[in-house]
Amino acid sequence: MLQDLVNAVALGSIYLLFALGMSLAWGTIGILNFAHGSIFMFSAFAAYLIVNNVRLPMVAVIAIGTLVGAALSLAVQVFAFEPILRRAKDHRTAEMQILIAGIGVAIVPLAIAQENTKSNPFGFTGSSFKATTYVLGDLRVTNIQILVIVLALVLGLGLARWLQVSRNGLALRSIGVDSEVSSIMGVDRRRLALLTMLVAGGLAGLAGVLLTYNLGAITPESGEALILKAFAIIILGGVGSIAGVIVGAYVLALAETVVLTQTSGLWVDAVSFGLILLVLLFKTEGLFGRREVRRA
Amino acid sequence: MSGWYDANLVLVQSTFVGLLLALSVQVPLRMGVFSFAGVGSYAIGAYTAAIVVIRWEAPALLAIAAGALLASFVGWLLALLLHRLGGLYLGMATVAFDLILSVVTTNGGELTGGPTGLFGVIADISMAQIIGVTLIVVLLLAASERGRIGRRVEAVRDDPELAAAMGINVRRYRQAAFVVSGLLGGCAGAINVLLRTTVGPADIGFGLVVLALTMIIIGGAKSWLGALIGAVVFTWLPSILAVVGEWQQIIYGTIVALAAIWVPGGVLGLVTDAYRGIQQRRRLKELAAAGAADVVEDHGADEEDLAVLEELAQESPVERQR
Repeated sequence: MLQDLVNAVALGSIYLLFALGMSLAWGTIGILNFAHGSIFMFSAFAAYLIVNNVRLPMVAVIAIGTLVGAALSLAVQVFAFEPILRRAKDHRTAEMQILIAGIGVAIVPLAIAQENTKSNPFGFTGSSFKATTYVLGDLRVTNIQILVIVLALVLGLGLARWLQVSRNGLALRSIGVDSEVSSIMGVDRRRLALLTMLVAGGLAGLAGVLLTYNLGAITPESGEALILKAFAIIILGGVGSIAGVIVGAYVLALAETVVLTQTSGLWVDAVSFGLILLVLLFKTEGLFGRREVRRA
Repeated sequence: MSGWYDANLVLVQSTFVGLLLALSVQVPLRMGVFSFAGVGSYAIGAYTAAIVVIRWEAPALLAIAAGALLASFVGWLLALLLHRLGGLYLGMATVAFDLILSVVTTNGGELTGGPTGLFGVIADISMAQIIGVTLIVVLLLAASERGRIGRRVEAVRDDPELAAAMGINVRRYRQAAFVVSGLLGGCAGAINVLLRTTVGPADIGFGLVVLALTMIIIGGAKSWLGALIGAVVFTWLPSILAVVGEWQQIIYGTIVALAAIWVPGGVLGLVTDAYRGIQQRRRLKELAAAGAADVVEDHGADEEDLAVLEELAQESPVERQR
């Protein structure tokens, strides 16, 4: 029972790291990046390619993953989303085109990784890091799980604090409320959008590397499933709320763990999809949402 | 010719199924309803047809009708349920609906065959029936793009408030979008399962949503012709790209991404834009010859919008009387 709880918290922390960047981009600059899952997976994949050739400690692998994620995310913003935003005639068409472009862009890194690994799982066997397991009575916790939980909470709370307190955070939130007025007030939207995507991609890369360490290996397809889970988390917490993402991530992980341990396991995926439908039907603004969903 | 036809029969059949599936996602998009429920309808249609055929040995057309009707009924329920949502939220809610169906079929026990799906769905479906169904669908949809209904659909998409002010019952049009999408998706799923004789939860995942969407985006979102172009391209592209071997998926992804970014109107949009451009230039040239070119610059789009508005204005009294 306690073991399930620990596993659920570790799973929730991975969800949190992944969803944090997506939520930040969607809640502030209004970009729902469907390539986020692909960036997440490809960062871990790039680290795997390097680790295969050079024996690296964990810190270096994490740094590589984070940097690759940030660079990819920045590239997607500059080469895909910015041209769309420049040309789209209104917000609604831009929103939809960004969603579709994200789905399209996501195919390419996925295809490269699938081609290279023949769709087999890959892991950091070349890394000098060795997982240690601490045993406390019946409870088993690995040092990676501890690292994941601590990092997720520190980064989640830190990001929330940064958005609340810092000048850039204030500017970002103002874009989320009304981007035109904020730019009249002197907010440089393009610079902040790039910064947001950079941070979001870095978080995705970090999550990718940590998940690979945690599970031992991941498949190239794991990004796709996570995108929909992250969407459920963001919707549940409320778009634009970092506190909502933190709560949403752990709620989803706990709910999935309960379903996994109580049923045959085949229903696990229905949890996140069911959450999306239920929240959208009965509490559209989510648990901590600050604004109404745009009506049809 | 017949040799080629026999060799490529599977691809020809898939083109029709792809077209129906693409249309089931395109119809709501054309009304400004961002719904992917057509993919869920595909699942419902496929499983219904399979069950009807396996249990009662129903004839092909009856199985297709059963699948399509059940799917459109579910589409109607979904429309009632989700009527408050719009934009991305509606899109994701319908994706969630699609994926829940794939989990439900995985857990459906004997009825849906669980994770392995259903096998041995053997019915007397013929190419003529497939072509017949598709032709009827395309003719009806083509009719809905012209004249009065066409203008109303355009108004509902581009400016729902204006449409409502003109006396168009926007909500009913949106519900109709869900119902028609269900019918088409159900048809596509049912036909596919009768052709392939199997269906499983893996056939109806997120990949199918992406496929339907890319067909429309590459072909063009505004007309059935765009869906046809998309269906042809994406049914045949993989076999053409097989030449490049291992690069196939990478090129495929690049094409989709580039098209989504730079050609939002799809192939059809490119063609019509080019055609309009030529026409406009010719008109300007004629006007210039008449010495009046400086008065008429930069019209085109505005002129068209005005025409739509005028026609709508003429129509509105009729709508109000209802």
